[in-house]
Amino acid sequence: MAALRTLLSILVYPGILFLFFYSTFCEWFDRKAYARLQNRMGPTHTGRFGLLQPIADFVKLLSKEDVVPDAADRQMFNALPVVGLAIVSTAALLLPVWNFDLAVPSLTSFSGDIIVLLYLLSLPTLVMFLAAWSSTNLFSTVGGARVLTMLFGYEVPLFLSVLSPAILANSWRLAEIAAFYQRRPLLILPNLLGFFVAVVAVQAKLERTPFDIPHAETEIVGGTFTEYSGKKLALFRLMLDVELVVSSGLLATVFLAGFPGGALLGFLQFVVKTLFVIFLLALLRALTSRIRIDQVVTFAWRVLAPLAVLQLLVVILLKGFLK
Amino acid sequence: MKFQIPIGPQHPALKEPISLRMTVEGEVIRDADIRLGYNHRGLEKLAEEKSFLQDIYLTERICGICSHSHATCFVQGVEKLMELAPPKRGMYIRYLVSELERVHSHLLWLGVAGHEAGFDSFFMYTWRDREIVMDLLEMISGNRVHYAINTIGGVRRDLDEGQKAKILEGTATLRARSEYYFHIGASEPSFVARIAGVGRLTKEQAETLCAVGPTARASGITRDVRKEDPYAVYDEMDFEVGTADSCDVLGRVVVRVKELLESYKIIEQIVRKLPEGPIVVKAPRKAKPGEVVSRYEAPRGENIHYIKSNGSEKPERLKVRAPTLANYPATVEMLRNGFIADIPLIFAAIDPCICCAERAVTLVDVRSGEEAIVRLSDLRRRAAERGPNAVLKRNAPWPL
Amino acid sequence: MSDADIIQGLQKDLGAKALELTNPDRRRIFLKVAPADLVAAVTLLRDRYDCAHLATISGVDKGETFEILYHFASRAANINVRTEVPKAAPRVATICPVIPGAILYERELQDMFGLVVDGIPDARPLVTPDDWPAGNFPLRKDWKYERPEEKIPGGKP
Repeated sequence: MAALRTLLSILVYPGILFLFFYSTFCEWFDRKAYARLQNRMGPTHTGRFGLLQPIADFVKLLSKEDVVPDAADRQMFNALPVVGLAIVSTAALLLPVWNFDLAVPSLTSFSGDIIVLLYLLSLPTLVMFLAAWSSTNLFSTVGGARVLTMLFGYEVPLFLSVLSPAILANSWRLAEIAAFYQRRPLLILPNLLGFFVAVVAVQAKLERTPFDIPHAETEIVGGTFTEYSGKKLALFRLMLDVELVVSSGLLATVFLAGFPGGALLGFLQFVVKTLFVIFLLALLRALTSRIRIDQVVTFAWRVLAPLAVLQLLVVILLKGFLK
Repeated sequence: MKFQIPIGPQHPALKEPISLRMTVEGEVIRDADIRLGYNHRGLEKLAEEKSFLQDIYLTERICGICSHSHATCFVQGVEKLMELAPPKRGMYIRYLVSELERVHSHLLWLGVAGHEAGFDSFFMYTWRDREIVMDLLEMISGNRVHYAINTIGGVRRDLDEGQKAKILEGTATLRARSEYYFHIGASEPSFVARIAGVGRLTKEQAETLCAVGPTARASGITRDVRKEDPYAVYDEMDFEVGTADSCDVLGRVVVRVKELLESYKIIEQIVRKLPEGPIVVKAPRKAKPGEVVSRYEAPRGENIHYIKSNGSEKPERLKVRAPTLANYPATVEMLRNGFIADIPLIFAAIDPCICCAERAVTLVDVRSGEEAIVRLSDLRRRAAERGPNAVLKRNAPWPL
Repeated sequence: MSDADIIQGLQKDLGAKALELTNPDRRRIFLKVAPADLVAAVTLLRDRYDCAHLATISGVDKGETFEILYHFASRAANINVRTEVPKAAPRVATICPVIPGAILYERELQDMFGLVVDGIPDARPLVTPDDWPAGNFPLRKDWKYERPEEKIPGGKP
């Protein structure tokens, strides 16, 4: 029985099937918001309101020819999309939607799981770099190098800003942090600075404008994914979508007081809050122009990191004050 | 630092023609060479075998975006050869379409500049506005490009009151939006930082290399064929020539937006002052022997046609010089001592007419002599990677 | 400067070198010089008549001779300088030292007509492809186009 339950959990909810449908829904939402902000229609024809467009893209990619370059490291090249998708799907398990019991720590909700989640979210960057490296195409290698360079920029502000509400809530467990802010919702306000820093840092992690230097073109997705095609590219794109869901879920849990209310209401809150964060990300994407790689790093270290430290300071002072 | 990019597995060398060949040292371009001819269709030879009327359709197809410029430049010249004086109303309509084409072309270019700099929202907005112009042109001529409104002796279609009202309405909307883009260009820091200081061409260089159009006007040279060699209706219109002094891509954006605003003025004057009368006068089949030089200000610069006739119904010689060709030596100069990362932006800034196709660029390392071919799209990707000159561009002032 | 002023000035400065000087239309002046006087005339135009801007160079095949027109645009008028060279000896001097922007137009003359421009800084063909058979000058009147045999690189022979 427990085995069946685990299997269902992995495959259906909150596992692969749920993530597949929800992440493609989030991609649809992002594309639609971006398009409407640019006075365009966005996906419209596939399914009602174009909802099935991301799924159609995925299916189309599956049917395309899969080319592996001769000089590429075959095993790594083939394994990386699956590994990347597995990593982000595992990260999704840790989001406290309603599969947890506050009193009893379980495999999906335990003390320190915020750190595990952040760690699992930085692994896709490494996966992308390895994908670029194993392609042995110099363009991909340059793209991969850029991906890592950006990692040095945004990772520290992201960590600092996400950990501040955890410090205020006095816990390293996502479910408890969410519960703390549900009890005292006013304490969300001091963390707003960290929220905005985290939104910008997540935008950089997901490689969207203004930080889309590693694959700067819309005509040819170059950079890390230059050599990928067919099924592998489909899996990589799905990995990016799931990463979007997980990052926005993380931000919603930590900054927007999680998803209280049991099964149905909690799930609804999950949808609403993650879509709100995704809307902010789409807004950022539509309003800015691409910035250069050196500017990303200087911006991250001169603006984002000090703001995150400031947020940390505010939280520590507040904590002392509240005691 | 040695600079080498290997030929990729997709072998871009076999798919795309080589058009720029640059000698590089590290990230800096030491010399550039233009290789042309992959789009050469032998139109000058073909024009000698077609009659004057058929040649209008031939010249119109020299380009898609500035189709009307070539057709009008040709027709102007032929009308001089045949000693025809087209009626006023026909001339007004012809040059109304010219100005609408200029608006369309500049909006297109603004979008392309935004896209090259990574500012996709700007690209989408300007192209949305371009739809208004294209709808107006479709209303006047029946086509969105290749308007085919010229004939020897006048134009082929007339305007009525309803169409005039729509044109004025469309122009008013576009003017409000273009002023908004002027404002965005001035105040969007990432966009300005990206294009300021790129592609420098001093005034002396522009003069000696015979640059034309907005490329020259952005270096402070106030030359516009409409003002200095006024043809047809332009001596009756009140407008100014837009210039800028910054000699870089930012100046070219400023010049084109200023030209947009001036074009709206001209369009409104043409529509308001449109005289009554016929739109065409009958043209003979044969032209008297003679020669004529016809100049026209296309959106990209000065367009010149030299037509020689020998008394028959076919031209003896038609020589066309499109404005982009005149800007190529200036482009070479702009690329020298620039950065590889800036190549796509500099090339787009002269508004190349035969563009949109992918082009490969060959980079020759000056020390090792090794060559490598790289695609323009990859160059655009690298264009996001800036060297130490980023500071220079960030602090460049807006040349208003 | 009006057209009449320009014509008077040119007649005075060039004297006998100006073989023919016409003003067929408002702002259009056609000046004919011998090939030997070409560079001197162009230099004069650039320095004294504000003709730094060369619009283009046209070549015309007139049967026995080639006529080459240099179209200059000053702010006052368009001054077109023409010179004629015999087909048997199609050589003309380059004006690139005077007008650096003329390089591409002169290269095109070489490609299309087979004219030899003496002293040109860069003599490579401009518009013809790499595998263009030598001796084919498309814009000569006696050159007819024959569709070459289609050869697919790497394909069936």
